[in-house]
Amino acid sequence: MLDVREVGKRFGEVVALDGISLSVGDGAILGFLGPNGAGKSTTMRAVMGLISIDSGSISWNGAPITHATRRRFGYMPAERGMYPKMTVRDQLVYFAKLAGLSTSDAASAATTWMERVDIAHRADDEVQALSSGNQQRVQLAIALVHDPELLILDEPFSGLDPVAVETMKTILAEQMRAGTSVLFSSHQLDLVSDISRDVVIVEAGRVVMAGDVQHLRERAGMRDVSVGFDTDTAWTPSIDGATVTQATARTAHVRVPAGTDPAVVLADANRAGRVVEFAFTPPDLSEVFLAAIGQVPA
Amino acid sequence: MSREIRQRLRSRGFAVTTVLICLGVLGAGVLNRALRGDDSPTRYDVAVVGRAPAGFETALQSAAKALGIRIDVSSVADRDAAVSRVSSGDDDAAVDVAAAQLIADRAPPDELAAAIDAGWQSAASRAAARDAGLDDTQITSVLAPQGLARTSISGAADSNDDVGRLVGSATAILLFISINAFGGMVLTGVVEEKSTGVVEVLLAHVRAHQLLAGKVFGIGVVAMMQFSAAVLTGVVALRISGTEVPNSVWFGLPTTIAWFVVGFVLYSTLFALAGSFVSRQEDAQGAAAPISMVFTAAYLTVFVLGGAPYSTAARVVSILPPFAPLLMPLRVSIGAASVLEIVVSAVLLLAATFGMLRLAGTVYGRTLLHRGSRLKWKQALTMKSS
Repeated sequence: MLDVREVGKRFGEVVALDGISLSVGDGAILGFLGPNGAGKSTTMRAVMGLISIDSGSISWNGAPITHATRRRFGYMPAERGMYPKMTVRDQLVYFAKLAGLSTSDAASAATTWMERVDIAHRADDEVQALSSGNQQRVQLAIALVHDPELLILDEPFSGLDPVAVETMKTILAEQMRAGTSVLFSSHQLDLVSDISRDVVIVEAGRVVMAGDVQHLRERAGMRDVSVGFDTDTAWTPSIDGATVTQATARTAHVRVPAGTDPAVVLADANRAGRVVEFAFTPPDLSEVFLAAIGQVPA
Repeated sequence: MSREIRQRLRSRGFAVTTVLICLGVLGAGVLNRALRGDDSPTRYDVAVVGRAPAGFETALQSAAKALGIRIDVSSVADRDAAVSRVSSGDDDAAVDVAAAQLIADRAPPDELAAAIDAGWQSAASRAAARDAGLDDTQITSVLAPQGLARTSISGAADSNDDVGRLVGSATAILLFISINAFGGMVLTGVVEEKSTGVVEVLLAHVRAHQLLAGKVFGIGVVAMMQFSAAVLTGVVALRISGTEVPNSVWFGLPTTIAWFVVGFVLYSTLFALAGSFVSRQEDAQGAAAPISMVFTAAYLTVFVLGGAPYSTAARVVSILPPFAPLLMPLRVSIGAASVLEIVVSAVLLLAATFGMLRLAGTVYGRTLLHRGSRLKWKQALTMKSS
């Protein structure tokens, strides 16, 4: 289990991490969310030993992380890190050997992972000749080629087409089932809720929200109501705290306080017109995220 | 390290430059041979009529050697036979002992006449001395007194200094080019790993000092292969050239490889450090400029001090680590360096290189992950971990 405890880091006058804590259990996957500059990459680089920390602690399975421990981690930095003129196959073999695999095991693992990320047809092409999406696939394969215990993925979905996103989601799910712990950051919040049950949201170097995605949505201070009418209807809710967020001739999207009774809302809508569709849901993760970082009132 | 070796060996540029360097070195030997032509001494045949006086032939050959010619002496039965051989061109000249005459078709070549005269006069003087009652020791002391002892104001003179200087200078040029070229590869290799971000992935698996050592020694192995090929070709070229090569060169040339290896490690470690100070290739040369300046200064000393390899300045400068890899091989080739100087220089160079590796191992780990503007040397050496 990865355990990051009260980690602090300053760069001169800038506080990059202000007591960040998170943990990733064995075989768990944790989404790491936050606006640019919130401290996600810095936290991940600290886990990988690429920066020193000023305070707090980082441990793996209860012990401080050493160089030997880190060789069992897989890392995918936000800025891609590969040799541009090396072929895909050589790249994977090289990193596998660096991680301690024998030459034959490295070659075998490289072949396996090129097929898994669907890049085997470009095995003998230089990385610089690949599209950014395909480079991303290679980068993921590099992180996975030595069968790591912990995966640290910094923005793994950026630049991927929908097919590649599905491939990556499948691979991450398989890794999780195989017992690999995964910490990944993303700006694509819908993807995060698809992949990860747990998230940590950070801002300005501090954790502002953490927990199960469903619970975070449930804990939000408002609910989204979607109503469809059979004819053109102008509905102005007469419910305390309700606001119309979007409306068309026959639909209305309304936000109401979390404690509001759905039956009361439905009745209010029915008074305005004949309701044919009705949904009363917690806000989605992106709204929770925006609320958490103070961009939109919950 | 194996990646570095494989990558450089696969490069077409490496193969092409290695072949070109070896061809250039070999070509120099062949050209030298061609320009020298046949440098064997001019040969003359001389016939002798009658019994030559004692010591004549010995004195004749001594004079011939001094004049750089070769004289083959044969006896003929009588004067007519001698005249016949000379007129037919079988012999270049003949000596009629009884008549005390030098017989030639026309005027004999000056060097031949001078040698025969010297031999004849020496034999005549020896005979006269013996007639006067002197013994052989006294005759020798009168006719061949001890000559002047030679001394050179710039140290031990060697007639083959020029060969040593030429070989040493050529080696220094090759050393300079090789260290610059392969040191440049170390520099750009480090910057490439930084600018592409690959260094962050690498550091997850290897420590910074291991990364540094892998790059320096990996490229160093390839550099040594090319340099050794050039040196071995140089040995062949010297054989081909027909030049008389002093022993100091035969000793100096192979040991140049050792100077190259240590010098390469010293300078390329500095190049690697400079590369870790920047994040973009366009800043690399600027960061490496101080190293290049020192290295170029060392190169220039080869020409400034190479002309006076026994001077105090040459002795002192050639044992200083930044200068030793270029200047000491030259002095060794000339035979101007004492064993003590060579040992002191080698020990200092090894110590400096070891110290540099230790320092670089520490600094590199901090500077390698530095992003943004170029670090200055002072900043780099004093910065803390990021």
